[in-house]
Amino acid sequence: MKELSLHILDIVQNSIKAGAKNIEIIINESTADNLMTIEINDNGSGMSKEFLKKVKDPFVTTRTTRKMGMGISLFEAAAVQCGGGLDIESELGVGTKVKASFELMSIDRAPLGDMAETMMTIISGSPEPEYLYRHTKDGKVFELDTVQLKEILGDVPLDMPEVLSWITGYIKEGLAELNI
Amino acid sequence: MKVSELAKALDLKVITDKGFADREIKSCYVGDLLSWVMGRAGQDSVWITIMSNVNIVAVAALVDMACILLAEGVAIDEEVIKKADSQGIIILSTDKNSYEAAIAVHKAAAI
Repeated sequence: MKELSLHILDIVQNSIKAGAKNIEIIINESTADNLMTIEINDNGSGMSKEFLKKVKDPFVTTRTTRKMGMGISLFEAAAVQCGGGLDIESELGVGTKVKASFELMSIDRAPLGDMAETMMTIISGSPEPEYLYRHTKDGKVFELDTVQLKEILGDVPLDMPEVLSWITGYIKEGLAELNI
Repeated sequence: MKVSELAKALDLKVITDKGFADREIKSCYVGDLLSWVMGRAGQDSVWITIMSNVNIVAVAALVDMACILLAEGVAIDEEVIKKADSQGIIILSTDKNSYEAAIAVHKAAAI
């Protein structure tokens, strides 16, 4: 995929399909360590040990579960291509953690893409789970937490157009402050 | 064949500065893995790719390519175009896929 945010969207869709109530998207960029990491953690249904073993294999997983799993192998390929890798931990009934790492400066590293649009797409498509998006760049942190947001909004739903547009703007401004 | 002649012959869209410094095309290379292209594409080449992030400008500058030819009409950010203009890199675009574009370049430029 041409942008890493498309991988994030894909993995988060897996979390949503797995019935997760809480989904964390944690991105860390460190210029000093030449490292970028993207973590997606959820408390969805998780995977069995047997399934986890073959989740990175595009052939096995696509055949038995249709689309799911292909996303993991593509995400891994994107990471390996620029000197990184992908780790996945999962436990049935507990949840799944996916962590991809990239050489930040690698010429083959796809750009992150538009995280504001990505979060807007995720939240408008599935407003039920709680999302935590935390983006750290060289020590500076931006955070969007829908739990806090819902406390402020009260009865106003997250997927109202005005709220979604506010969220998009808030992320854009927040990331701009981190020079992203 | 010059870049301007190729653009005309293949009806390519010039994405970067229209008043570019014209140059001779000596070869053609097709590829999307930037690190791979960097080590293999030749100087004065037309590079056909579907990649459109800012790193393509760095690759073209480093290799001293004649121009970049974006295949399949892929979208490109304004920021990348600005970077290319600042580096004197010419970016062209076609709706053809990489294979069809390479054939068209071969036919037109006899390379």
